[in-house]
Amino acid sequence: MKFFIDDLPIIFPYDRIYPEQYAYMCDLKRTLDATGHCLLEMPSGTGKTVSLLSLIVSYQQFYPTKRKLIYCSRTVPEIEKALAELKRLMDYRRDCAETDEQREKEQNFYGIGLTSRKNLCIHPEVSKEKKGKVVDARCRDLTNSAACAKGRENPGSVDLCDWHENLGKLEPGNLIPPGIWTLADVLQYGRDNRICPYFLVRRMMPFVDVIIYSFHYLLDPKVAEQVSKELSKDAIVVFDEAHNIDNVCIESLSIDLTRPMLDSAARSVVRLGEKIEEIKETDASKLQDEYAKLVEGLQEANSAEDAFVSNPVLPEDLLKEAVPGNIRKAEHFVAFLKRFVEYLKTRMRVLHVVAETPLSFLQHLKDITYIERRPLRFCAERLQSLVRTLDLSRLDEFSSLQKVASFATLVATYEKGFLLILEPFETDNATVPNPIFHLTCLDPAIAIKPVFERFSSVVITSGTLSPLDMYPKMLQFTPVVQETYSMTLTRNSFLPLVITRGSDQVAISSRFEVRNDPAVVRNFGSILVEYSKIVPDGIVAFFPSYLYMESIVAAWNDMGILNEVWKHKLIFVETPDANETSIALENYRRACDNGRGAVLLSVARGKVSEGIDFDHNYGRAVIMFGVPYQYTESRILKARLEYLRDAYRIRESEFLGFDAMRNAAQCVGRVLRGKTDWGLMVFADKRFARADKRAKLPRWINQYITETASNLSTDMALTLSKQFMRMISQNPNEDQTGISLWTLEDIEKAQAKQKELALAQEVERQDATMEDEDEYGDGGIDDEALGAIDLDV
Amino acid sequence: MPPIVCSAQASYKKLPGLLELTDSHLQWTKAGEKAPAVKVPTTEAASLSRSKAGAPQVRLKIGLLSDEAGHNFTFTSPQAVALAERDKFEAELTNIIARNRSGAPQIPAPTKPLQAATPTPTTPAHGSGVGTPMRPPPALSRPSTSRAVSVASDSRASGTPVGSDPTSDFRLRKKVLLSTPELAQLHRELVMAGHITENEFWEGREHLLLAQAAAETQKRGKPGQLVDPRPQSVDGEIKIVITPQLVHDIFEEFPIVARAYNDNVPGKLSEAEFWSRYFQSKLFNAHRASIRSSAAQHVVKDDPIFDKYLEKDDDELEPRKLREERVDTFIDLGATYVDHEETGNEKDVTMQAGKQRAVLPLIRKFNEHSTRLLDTALGGPAAKRRRTDSGESEHYAQIDLEDLHDNQSSSGIVLNMQDRQRYFDGRANGTSNGDDGAGRVDFQEALQQSKASTQGWSANLTQLKIERKAGDAALVSMTQNVASRLDVRLRKHEIPEGLFRQMTTCQTAANEFLRQFWLTIYPPANESQTLSVATPAQKAAKAAKMIGYLSKTHEKVEALVGVAHQEGIDPARVQVAMKPILDAVNKALDFWRLKNSKAPGAR
Repeated sequence: MKFFIDDLPIIFPYDRIYPEQYAYMCDLKRTLDATGHCLLEMPSGTGKTVSLLSLIVSYQQFYPTKRKLIYCSRTVPEIEKALAELKRLMDYRRDCAETDEQREKEQNFYGIGLTSRKNLCIHPEVSKEKKGKVVDARCRDLTNSAACAKGRENPGSVDLCDWHENLGKLEPGNLIPPGIWTLADVLQYGRDNRICPYFLVRRMMPFVDVIIYSFHYLLDPKVAEQVSKELSKDAIVVFDEAHNIDNVCIESLSIDLTRPMLDSAARSVVRLGEKIEEIKETDASKLQDEYAKLVEGLQEANSAEDAFVSNPVLPEDLLKEAVPGNIRKAEHFVAFLKRFVEYLKTRMRVLHVVAETPLSFLQHLKDITYIERRPLRFCAERLQSLVRTLDLSRLDEFSSLQKVASFATLVATYEKGFLLILEPFETDNATVPNPIFHLTCLDPAIAIKPVFERFSSVVITSGTLSPLDMYPKMLQFTPVVQETYSMTLTRNSFLPLVITRGSDQVAISSRFEVRNDPAVVRNFGSILVEYSKIVPDGIVAFFPSYLYMESIVAAWNDMGILNEVWKHKLIFVETPDANETSIALENYRRACDNGRGAVLLSVARGKVSEGIDFDHNYGRAVIMFGVPYQYTESRILKARLEYLRDAYRIRESEFLGFDAMRNAAQCVGRVLRGKTDWGLMVFADKRFARADKRAKLPRWINQYITETASNLSTDMALTLSKQFMRMISQNPNEDQTGISLWTLEDIEKAQAKQKELALAQEVERQDATMEDEDEYGDGGIDDEALGAIDLDV
Repeated sequence: MPPIVCSAQASYKKLPGLLELTDSHLQWTKAGEKAPAVKVPTTEAASLSRSKAGAPQVRLKIGLLSDEAGHNFTFTSPQAVALAERDKFEAELTNIIARNRSGAPQIPAPTKPLQAATPTPTTPAHGSGVGTPMRPPPALSRPSTSRAVSVASDSRASGTPVGSDPTSDFRLRKKVLLSTPELAQLHRELVMAGHITENEFWEGREHLLLAQAAAETQKRGKPGQLVDPRPQSVDGEIKIVITPQLVHDIFEEFPIVARAYNDNVPGKLSEAEFWSRYFQSKLFNAHRASIRSSAAQHVVKDDPIFDKYLEKDDDELEPRKLREERVDTFIDLGATYVDHEETGNEKDVTMQAGKQRAVLPLIRKFNEHSTRLLDTALGGPAAKRRRTDSGESEHYAQIDLEDLHDNQSSSGIVLNMQDRQRYFDGRANGTSNGDDGAGRVDFQEALQQSKASTQGWSANLTQLKIERKAGDAALVSMTQNVASRLDVRLRKHEIPEGLFRQMTTCQTAANEFLRQFWLTIYPPANESQTLSVATPAQKAAKAAKMIGYLSKTHEKVEALVGVAHQEGIDPARVQVAMKPILDAVNKALDFWRLKNSKAPGAR
């Protein structure tokens, strides 16, 4: 369908539209017009992505400015889904085009997705490598500019990647025909034409209209510097599924060091030293050149594609000055590194927990080793330069050293918002030390700040952003639009239930003190058993942590509870290995398609809870066993809570509750796609009954939790569920059109109404300037209220 | 009553009684009672176990598909007799169970050889056709049973089933009758009494037969439970009972055991030795679905034979056997993990997957077991299927919001109406008149009116008085209603048993005749489903026959009234009870009369 928002023609690839989609698009357009940031919470499964893409592509195609869209998602499956959605949208737009000129314009629209070398490599040997890091390193060996230059000059002397070479022969900016290319498409295109898909995408980035990749490519300075540096400032940045964006920000600036890593780093330092000696004898001028460059403070104009250790700090914190004298000489730098690594090793020998600020760490470092802060800040950059000069291969073996260098640079750059925590033991009862040195970022605003500053429109959107004011507070930005949409339904297509106690009236909870209580375990089990009896096809169950899931699965098995479940459904469980879990997931889906039915046991905030949809028969019920609180004994979490309280006045309990509920909502929200889909959402914990907990759920879920459904025992919940399923399985005879589905006419009607309203307000405002308020004093309804009445005509 | 294959005195739950095996059921009747207390269709039998030879009590245990626990019978005859009896039962049941397992339908009692009836020339051949009696079996391919292919026979006349058309399958009919006693009763009264033929009886009831056929062809899948033999206490000793079923399951679940069995039995070990050593070995402990088994490691003995087959525990974070092929990108979780370098601090202890290493083999066992069950049901792993249909359209289908598509253009069947124009004209005229009034609602005025009507509502409410008399009357009538209903409820069922049964019979028979009658009058509902398409002449003949039966209904009712009178019951009650059926019969008779009088010269 085609309609207008103000003067902007929108092409929407369906015949109808949900009212919330329309509202979402209006607000989105407002944000783009105002060139500001926005925060939009839209119910899961109501077609957020398609509305977003539909509006932004219409915007791009209509206005001559052609702002680029940078669309970020969390996971590769979501990136692929967004690409498929975009592809379908463009097909639709092409079919809808009225003139040839328009069709041409739609056809010349570029959209691509970027992921790692590991996911995009088609080199027969390199792609076989299991680890992403190894693929990266081997790819660099075959494709870096030095190797390429050598190989081209003297064919056969160096191994080169044919696919990369073939790509180099093509005209830049025209490596692939215009259109939308999903990751699978690009891979296929690469195979068919024998060109490298990864570099194809990287090199096409400046020319495309839409680029889709994961959060990290924009938020993690190490990656962003290589990948996203050249993106123009007027680009529209979208963070989809952004409910965990604060964690991504924090993660991108945090580093852990362990003893094996330090050992490996020390070995790498030795190897660097050897290499330097070697080069000194064979090609001493190289080192001289490097030294000269460093003296002049020249930034090496090397292409970003070659970068190995990019700087872990944000662009604006980079020092724009020459590398300090004491680490300019290669051998001096190596000695410097050696000293630093040794220092860290001695720190690791401490057998009690230490928490300190970066400043105190630096002071101690200076006292012991005389290492100053300034050279430490250049550590990462200096290492990069050295590695390049030495022409090292298999850089994955240097990754520990790289981490140490990043650690040094970060700790010397930031004073506030970071904390160093040394934990000598893994758990409280462990006796064998296994020390970990955490450098943890506490403030998500640090990493995202450059994004807000650089790009004029940043859209943060998800199905669960409640409470909305939390995000502007944590990320330190001021949105121009901040909105949450409720779900219009002609009949309730999902049923949220809060089970607070088992059929035996014992309260259930995943609270630490009672979670392993046999009565609680059995009651949790009986919920699963009973639901597997009555619910068709798929059931997904989420646990608050891996530890709890693993122990409860074992306990259920020994209690014979799982035997009951086997009678009705197959059981699949999330495992530590992602590929193994994918296969389990695939089989789970087959079992749902086949009608055998299955139960999938997984973990909130785990691998499965992000980016996998359980719509339709893949998830007729989601059971949330317990409240997915974070582990509050974690020192890192404690530090973060303290920081939030001091810096942003967010209380600990408030943040913990918010964090648990957003994850719970995220889990249960995955059952729906579209308004004809239906599902049960079971919250099994007595703490969900509390009003302050539920208030943190998104409005679109919370509004459908009835008073009776908020405090149920298992048997009552089962009765309600059965009733609901009987009801929902009926054919909906009422027409949803006009209420939860809009046709073109409905949109126009709504727009007309809105215009009237705006007009009325305008008039009123004028009236108000003349005289304060017209009070007729007859006790009748005043104009404003009349205007607000929803006249169903 | 189906013939009894064997029977014996046996006690069940410590109550003496008679155990019988018929060709369809295993049943046990308590001594002194008529109806069997336990009645199990033989198709349900899944496993069998017996007490040891030489045990003081002779026992037989039968496990069911739906109920593992099954039933336990003790043979109570003197030992020697009991043993013989038990062996007889065992032999019979073993056959049945084998048959059940192989998935073949139960072979019915062989049908009697059919005498070839001379086909009447007027009968049109239906279904299998006269010339092609050897109809190929349907695609579902039930193994052909002794259901003899009938020679060209007129099924309508003889009532014997022909071919493999499920609606005319004798076996199916029998099953349906057995499962619904009411229908069987009717069948006895009408068909066996010769009022109507077999096929006439089934006409219009094809759906029952089709449902039965569908239910039979549905193969029962493997039960989902894990193969986890647990020791149970038998006669005070703790042991694991091995049944052939269990052996089969173990071999299927753990191919390694099958290998060990092939390697060692009977060369190195005897069968019994093999199993007793297996259950004590580390191998068995590794196979058990429990993490407690690792705690019991010390009671497990080293075993040179079985330890060879021991594999390392699959408890690393990465599985031992990693499948290489990639899954669909939409659910590829691994891709996200290599999408960017890992960043951030280590997850806290509770969120590190696989911290409890002992659980990992168990979890993997669940996933593998589920996958295996699925593969056996679907016939092959996922990979094959994926390559063929993971196209773009499938991906689009996964992201599609189907309710946003306009589906109104294609829905519905157009109603064909005669004189449509006239109908709509009339409608339009009618409504337009009404609309004129309703359409021009003056909004202002309406608002004022409604406002006026609500003015002073609180005063009105206080003035509201309910008239006492009316209220009382309503209450009284309600009370009476309740009282009379209670009265009816309390009153005893006074009609004597015999008469009541006669009345029911009369009613059901008349109903069946009515059904048959109207069937011949109306055009057939669905050609493909009906047994046969009768010619108009046949139909007329049948209708006439039915009318003949129906016209006797009045006499029958009269007779019943007479009986009632004799028994001293108010005949009016019988009349009231039979009134609806008489009305229906009268209606049919009137219709017939009218039809015949309309076209007197037609036949």
